[in-house]
Amino acid sequence: MLKIEHLTKVYDTGVQALDDVSFEIPDGQFVVIIGLSGSGKSTLLRCINRLIDPTEGRIIWNGLDITAATEEDLRQIRRRIGMIFQQFNLIKRSSVITNVLAGRLGYTNPAWSLVNHFSKVDYQEALAKLDRVGIRDKAYVRADELSGGQQQRVGIARALMQDPELMLADEPVASLDPATSHSVMKYLELLNREDGITILCSLHFLSLARTYADRIIALKDGRLEFDGLPDEIDDARFRAIYGEDAVRVEIA
Amino acid sequence: MNDKPASSRSVLRRIVILVGVLVGIVVYAIGWQVTDISLEETQDPTRQEVMQRALRELFAPDIFAQERESIVTSANIMLGCQEGQTVEQPERTEHYVIITPDCGQRGDVISVEGFGFEPDSDVFLRWVPPTGQKRPLVRADIDGEGHFLTQIEVPGIRGDAGQTHQIEAEGSWPVGLPRLSQTTLLVLEKIVETIFLALMATTIAVPIAVLLSFFSARNLMRQIRTPLGTALIGFVLVPVGGWLGSLLLMPVVQLGLTWGKGLALGLIGAVAGIAAYGLVARYANALDLPTGHFQFHLRRVGMNLLLLVVFVFVFGAVAGICVWLGEQLQEGILGYLGNFLGTLGLLLELVAGAVAWLAGALLAATIGMEFSRDWLRHLAEPASSVLGAVLGALGGALLLALMAAIANQAALLGILPPFIAATLAMQLVGMIYKRWVSRGRPQAGRAHATARLILSWVAAVIVFALTYAFLDTGRSLIDGRLPAATVWDLGLVSIQTFTAKAMLIGAVLGGLGGFLAGTQSSFPLGMALYNTSRTILNALRAVEPLIMGIVFVIWVGIGPFAGVLALTLHSIAALGKLYSEQTENIDPGPLEAIQATGATWLQTVVYAVIPQIVPPYIAFTMYRWDINVRMSTIIGFVGGGGIGFLLQQQINLLRYKDAGVAVLAIAIVVSILDYASASIRERIV
Ligand SMILES: Nc1ncnc2c1ncn2[C@@H]1O[C@H](COP(=O)(O)OP(=O)(O)O)[C@@H](O)[C@H]1O
Ligand SMILES: [Mg+2]
Repeated sequence: MLKIEHLTKVYDTGVQALDDVSFEIPDGQFVVIIGLSGSGKSTLLRCINRLIDPTEGRIIWNGLDITAATEEDLRQIRRRIGMIFQQFNLIKRSSVITNVLAGRLGYTNPAWSLVNHFSKVDYQEALAKLDRVGIRDKAYVRADELSGGQQQRVGIARALMQDPELMLADEPVASLDPATSHSVMKYLELLNREDGITILCSLHFLSLARTYADRIIALKDGRLEFDGLPDEIDDARFRAIYGEDAVRVEIA
Repeated sequence: MNDKPASSRSVLRRIVILVGVLVGIVVYAIGWQVTDISLEETQDPTRQEVMQRALRELFAPDIFAQERESIVTSANIMLGCQEGQTVEQPERTEHYVIITPDCGQRGDVISVEGFGFEPDSDVFLRWVPPTGQKRPLVRADIDGEGHFLTQIEVPGIRGDAGQTHQIEAEGSWPVGLPRLSQTTLLVLEKIVETIFLALMATTIAVPIAVLLSFFSARNLMRQIRTPLGTALIGFVLVPVGGWLGSLLLMPVVQLGLTWGKGLALGLIGAVAGIAAYGLVARYANALDLPTGHFQFHLRRVGMNLLLLVVFVFVFGAVAGICVWLGEQLQEGILGYLGNFLGTLGLLLELVAGAVAWLAGALLAATIGMEFSRDWLRHLAEPASSVLGAVLGALGGALLLALMAAIANQAALLGILPPFIAATLAMQLVGMIYKRWVSRGRPQAGRAHATARLILSWVAAVIVFALTYAFLDTGRSLIDGRLPAATVWDLGLVSIQTFTAKAMLIGAVLGGLGGFLAGTQSSFPLGMALYNTSRTILNALRAVEPLIMGIVFVIWVGIGPFAGVLALTLHSIAALGKLYSEQTENIDPGPLEAIQATGATWLQTVVYAVIPQIVPPYIAFTMYRWDINVRMSTIIGFVGGGGIGFLLQQQINLLRYKDAGVAVLAIAIVVSILDYASASIRERIV
């Protein structure tokens, strides 16, 4: 169970990215966050694993207060929270397998991992994860030689190495074409259905959100604008979230 | 807000441009004056002639030499023409010289003709008085038949009229194949020395610069924060740990050294130590201890302790083994290796004490921080402030004591204590403001940021002035004298008054800050390290390598070693800056992704940063080597060895033909390196 209480973030520049946001996510839900760009989606996701320190409010996960965790505790928490990114954020010059193994860093002895040494079990696990996302044959290719969709699948494999209970996805398909977008979203859906991983995913397009979400949360200017089932978003709500001039675009 | 009509704005703009151009011209005119640009000098015929001669010689480098064969023959001449008297001439053999007329006095022009010389070579004429002191006259070309004819003017020579003098003709011509001249051989030797000098300086500088560059990269250091109490405990424990390290770890180093010098024992000991650490690490890591638990910390501290003990032992053993190898390898090519290893061993032995001190300090600081972190977190308010005050006072006193020690070294460094005190005040005001004033009111972020900045500066200026007065910094800065050596006798110990005063200031500032901030407030440890490292790099970079060269020549004597030291120091500063800029420009995405997996800071650096920076680091290192070759020629001018030193001697002796060889060699080497480094850069970036 993830509980967000009165979360507020003001950047050093004075921009208020989040304004008193509260909600709860029970385990196993597939939640999609929508909102215009600049509405605070990325900020919200990054506050959850403390890549950004929130200004105010609390985040409670499985009874642990993430906002008050020490550095040591924070690492323990982070390794059970996977994250994938719009720009994939792979280490481009490293091989795919090294990228996937990096997901295991939180569990490995720091001294060994510094010389790029992982256990045999970790290697097998990494290959298995690559198998799962369908690119085992690319294991020893440099990451930047893959297509966008393949790179995002490496990103998913890396997050899976963490053995996560919660997966944060920050616009994971915004840099991909529609067909590839669906294939990446399907993997996320699979993880949610088969492994019971809670998914918190931000998306640009409402149509994609409707297809995959159990529940939709909408942000507008850092405030919680909507929290409910996908079907509850009618035209009036849509305009409230995206602005008066917005037109619905369908993504096939 | 532009209610002015467009035309008036454009007029204003034109005026601004006009004024700008005028100012530019004036600045340029002043510059012309200041730099003594003079067209008269450039047109002065004597100067032009001298320059032409120098340039011609520079461009006629003595690269090759050839054996020459020569013949000498002479004819008699009478000083002053006497009626009816003639001089007897030597017999005409296969080569001979005829002088007409065969008498003359100062200023007379006479012609000298020679026969039977080597065709198409040249001949030197000399005047030989009876005293035998020859005087050069002219050089003449010999034609295809071995004949020459030239005019000479009788020089002002001492001697009585009627005395017989001689004119000597020496014809010489090259025989055999040309070979490299002595100068060229010397230049080759020195250019090799130069290349190695630059190579050594670059390679020694690289690891240090890499380390400093990480500390000087804002994006890596910004995240490193720690509670103030923890940071202070770590800081205060540094000298304690250092002292303990000298006391307890030094014997371990010594043991390693002694064993290493016997090779076998050292090798066995080192391998056994590393193996033991590996085994214990495997066992200890298998234990599943919850974080924050006492045993968890105990394990980490225990592992660190073991690691350091093994490390210092291995360090000593490696030094010892190097010394041993240095003694064994003396012959031939291996002699170079032996010399290198032997010197390396001695160097390691020399710094062993510092290593033991540092290891102890590091260990004590990490232990202190490790154990304090958790219980400091649960410290309630009054206790937190009181403890903050105590630790702050200790830390502040320690910091200022360190600064006072530095200020005691040189007068100019007297600026450090007030400067550091002011910086401290600035930081503390910022921290206190954040904790007490802007807390809970994040909306007005920018206004608060401005207020905080102004208050911090005010505090800094006030504290600077007070410290300046209290420590009598004027004595150092204005009179150029070191702080007074007067001593405070406290019975058991005595302490320099200056140091005590500095410590007092530190204690007051630190104590006050610590009290107001409390042990829990977040201390930007990373940014503190960042600023320290940046300051060191900037200060180093501000010192001209030429000055460094002079200092090192004074220290280690004239020669390439001084050059290596000077260029190393300069390269550390230059590379550190370039590297850190590269590190700051990396893609932050992977950094974020690796951090999100629960990796430690060090793991993040290894996995997300290093793969991104390797190519530019290699490129900059090549570039630096290239620059160091060029710079070593300048360092050579002040005695730093290499080709520059040779070039300076040649120029001082006005031997431009020899200098030409050196200049040519430098040009060739620099362009080759330039090309090589450019093509390598192209390939990897
Ligand atoms: N590092 C930052 N520093 C200052 N302002 C930021 C930073 N990151 C984001 N912002 C601002 O915060 C607001 C929310 O941004 P973000 O969370 O990235 O929104 P979204 O992901 O929905 O596009 C925007 O106005 C953005 O300009
Ligand atoms: Mg975003």
